[in-house]
Amino acid sequence: MHNHIKFFILTILFSYFSLATIAQKYTVSGYVKEARSGESLLGANVYLKETLQGTQTNQYGFYSLTVPAGKYTLIFSYIGFDEQKFEISLNKNLQQNIELGEKTVETKEVTVHGEREDHNVEGIQMGRDKIEIEQLKKLPAFMGEVDILKSIQLLPGVQSGGEGNTGFYVRGGSLDQNLILLDEATVYNASHMFGFFSVFNSDAIQNATLTKGGMPAQYGGRLSSVLDIQMKEGNNKTYHMDAGIGPVASRLTVQGPIKKDVSSFIASGRRSFIDLFLGEPFVDKNSRTFGNKYYFYDLNLKVNYRLSDKDRLFLSGYFGRDVFKFKSPTTDFSLKIPWGNATGTARWNHLFNQKLFVNTSLIFTNYDFSFEGGQEKFSFKLFSGITDYNFKSDFTWLPGVRNNIRFGMNYVYHIFVPSHASAESNDVVFDLGKIVHQYAHDAAVYFNDEYDLSDKLKVSGGLRGTFFQQVGPFDRYLKDPLTGRTSDTISYASGKPVKTYWHVEPRASLRYSINHTSSLKASYTQNYQYLHLASLSSLSLPTDLWIPSSDRVRPQFATQYALGYFKNFKENVFETSVEVYYKTMEHQIEYEPGYTPDGGINDNADNGFVFGRGWSYGAEFFVKKAKGRFSGWIGYTLAWTYRKFPELNLGEKYFAKHDRRHDVSVVLMYELGQRLTFGATWVYATGDLNTMPKSVYFINGQITYDYGSNIYNYRIPAYHRLDVSVTLKNKPGKKFRTSWNLSVFNAYNRANPYVIYLADESDYTKGTFKIQAKQVSLFPIIPSITYNISF
Amino acid sequence: MKHSKERLMQKITLPFILALTGLFLLSACEKNITLNIPEAEQQLVVEGYIYENTFPYIFLTKSSPFFSELDSATLQKYIVRGATVIISDGFTTDTMAEFDSMYVHLYYSLNMTGVVGRSYSLRIESEGKVVTASTYLPPAIQLDSTWWKPDGNKDSLGFAWAHLTDPDTLGNYYRWFAKRINRFTYGDHIGEQKDSIFIAPLGSTFEDRFINGKSFDFAYNRGQLANSDKEDDGFSDERGYFKKGDTIVVKWCTYDQANFRFWRDAEQQIQSNGNPFSNPAPVLGNIEGGLGVFGGYGVSYDTIIAR
Repeated sequence: MHNHIKFFILTILFSYFSLATIAQKYTVSGYVKEARSGESLLGANVYLKETLQGTQTNQYGFYSLTVPAGKYTLIFSYIGFDEQKFEISLNKNLQQNIELGEKTVETKEVTVHGEREDHNVEGIQMGRDKIEIEQLKKLPAFMGEVDILKSIQLLPGVQSGGEGNTGFYVRGGSLDQNLILLDEATVYNASHMFGFFSVFNSDAIQNATLTKGGMPAQYGGRLSSVLDIQMKEGNNKTYHMDAGIGPVASRLTVQGPIKKDVSSFIASGRRSFIDLFLGEPFVDKNSRTFGNKYYFYDLNLKVNYRLSDKDRLFLSGYFGRDVFKFKSPTTDFSLKIPWGNATGTARWNHLFNQKLFVNTSLIFTNYDFSFEGGQEKFSFKLFSGITDYNFKSDFTWLPGVRNNIRFGMNYVYHIFVPSHASAESNDVVFDLGKIVHQYAHDAAVYFNDEYDLSDKLKVSGGLRGTFFQQVGPFDRYLKDPLTGRTSDTISYASGKPVKTYWHVEPRASLRYSINHTSSLKASYTQNYQYLHLASLSSLSLPTDLWIPSSDRVRPQFATQYALGYFKNFKENVFETSVEVYYKTMEHQIEYEPGYTPDGGINDNADNGFVFGRGWSYGAEFFVKKAKGRFSGWIGYTLAWTYRKFPELNLGEKYFAKHDRRHDVSVVLMYELGQRLTFGATWVYATGDLNTMPKSVYFINGQITYDYGSNIYNYRIPAYHRLDVSVTLKNKPGKKFRTSWNLSVFNAYNRANPYVIYLADESDYTKGTFKIQAKQVSLFPIIPSITYNISF
Repeated sequence: MKHSKERLMQKITLPFILALTGLFLLSACEKNITLNIPEAEQQLVVEGYIYENTFPYIFLTKSSPFFSELDSATLQKYIVRGATVIISDGFTTDTMAEFDSMYVHLYYSLNMTGVVGRSYSLRIESEGKVVTASTYLPPAIQLDSTWWKPDGNKDSLGFAWAHLTDPDTLGNYYRWFAKRINRFTYGDHIGEQKDSIFIAPLGSTFEDRFINGKSFDFAYNRGQLANSDKEDDGFSDERGYFKKGDTIVVKWCTYDQANFRFWRDAEQQIQSNGNPFSNPAPVLGNIEGGLGVFGGYGVSYDTIIAR
């Protein structure tokens, strides 16, 4: 009996410390970089040929492997790059930095890569996708603008926010439940021009990772997904210039070493030039569009400096604006509406030792929107925005080859201006109330351990503790439920807590390897979201407001269960997976029926909210051919998404606006020789739901719509579209590298519904009455040509 | 109100919509489609008025299926005849009489008139359905002055202006009507009075939430009836303008919040007609069990001679 217990304890100890207690262990670590530019390579595979044990580089290109002493072959591999092997003799800790070169010689047959190219099967992560910008550049681009936010919509489980829209829905979540990070800074409004283009200039972006399920503990703050976008670091070997021109915007990027191999910079700018065509002679002076002026621009800047082998400093910033101006040609009515984001990140990478890596960041984020208009003596101004000051410290600790530990903390101070308006006529200043700012502390601590229990079983467990506190100064306007008018005001002094929330979010996932080519994965996550986007329109408009959790608005809360089967075929040439998920979402937000925004005058923006719950379930099927001349993927999602709000739809459950039964994406690329690449994408999505009137009646001789109480009673027709592209590069080996990209958007000219609306086509003078439903389609077949040059 | 901040605020998305329309009109295409929406149950629709010092009257109709085409003949089917309509002002209760002619059908009472400060209730029974409503008749608030002013550099076309001092108490809801009482001196309608009834322009109503206790100028354009065939309406250059020489009677009203909301939303729905980017704008009335609105109006009058 006694022996049994002893054996049991020993077994547990053994499984935990296994080889560690037997043999002396050493660590090999270092950075993996791209040979041509010196950019860090994120997610490169590093493994030992003999044991097949390995790891991936983190987002700074750092890896660390701790294994028993011995002789090994260390292999570095990365898709699209030549693999490198090193014979190492581990009898002390080793540092091995490495540069991988892009594949230059195209071999006829498919290269057989190392066994570790099966990260999709082998890794524990599910519901995660990495996107390489260089890959996207081979695909068709809408109006010539390569767009990361539109490309992720081609992944299973990610649904487009609408025709030409950069907004996206992940697994039944709303648009605001996606955290979009640019070099760790939150980007609150990631689109230009009403969502048609994202703010991410493809020339300044290195890659992006989308996590839509099984979220590890280092991520939080949103229910549905995290899109982590990395800016390029800048070539630290030679100077380069890239320029491009497309039908919408032109781009220019300069990068190079400040001090060779030690520090580098990149500066990238983009500006639209549609406004040049909105004046004379292109637009008639009497046309409705005359007098409009619209443009957007982006600036990305990044500098990095290697202080020592152990310390590295990054400074990066983004600044982008959309500006819309209107001046009526006939009256003196004028408008000016600028909006945009600004972010700044200072990061310090420090290596305490070969097993402990830390990244500490100071981050600033701002989004603001303003609106100024006037006519004669009347003038009007509206302003809204959000500003964050963020401190973050993230540790990666790799105590052994079986363990990958992440822990850290994060603190954000938010300042919200839900919206403030002022107006005057002649000398009379209208009473539009005080500026109702909202302030909040937002903090998190987390710990996550990824652990190999055995060759077959890997587990990852984490906890994220979150804290959110809205503090004064703040005025809460209480509404009389009958009249809807402000009946009382509660004032909070500066710094005084208005409402405090704290929660613990457990995260767990596991991977069971069935064999070398297939595995089963499962995950369970809980997330809280303390910020909410209030949107009245289905379009992503810059007027959409970010609003904190408060005494009235509780944090959104989601629980997600996911199960996946992953299998690779033909030496990992084909990757396939099936994932099923079930997700519940609590404290979801909608505006109350018939709510009209009035600019928060003696009112709180969240007073117009109603609260309810949502749930979604579905299955995602994915087949990908990752290698060879012919590559691409097919993704199919079958899903159901519901909402239930006591105040809406008579309290009965209903399909969410973006409930889509079927969602298909097909992405194909074919390389013909070294210079020519063909690309094609095809998407199909079940139509969204709309609210249509039940009946009509006459008031004052005019047709009036009766919407009744039911919402989303009409499903609009399905959306489908084919895009094709050809990219032609000049001959390799030239000093100037040029490429032409011809894209054809909506190749078979499908008239997809953009909006459906009702028009009163009555002839009141003749006494005939008719309501006609009309479908507006936005984009017919649109060819576009983009020219890129770099040297 | 032409210069209402509230309306401007509600229309904050309008410039984007204009820009969208402008930028993509070239490529956007539009087609008629048929929506399959289940037919809804018919409801009673009430449009009832009780103006200060005037007899109450109501129009009673039924809602109609959404996509049925209607003309004056089929419309007759939707008029509700033979209903029992009972009105009460707390002192008198009366069963309203029915007036039925070729042009108009309504229920009225000659046994009471609108009195400031009174509450009115309505009970209607027809074909087994019962609807009720109530309203309050608030005191009128006089305009300080009214005048006509040309628009920009136009010399004979302009707007009706007024100066209002809003009382200190919050919760005043206003509605503007105007009627030209001079006659056409030209065209098909020569000799006829320009307007036969008071007309509310779109955006005729506003509240004092943003202007409480303030004293200020505002202007209104000229409204037109939905079925107008006058030569200065429709697509005329004079549409929306009062013309030099017009005699304009302004009916300046106050009513309760439910009425304000109803007319604000109803007018907004008309304004968003044909706008592809507008959201569904439900109109909430104050008829229990049915659709529509019943309102008591405090009334004051002013006359402007446009010169």
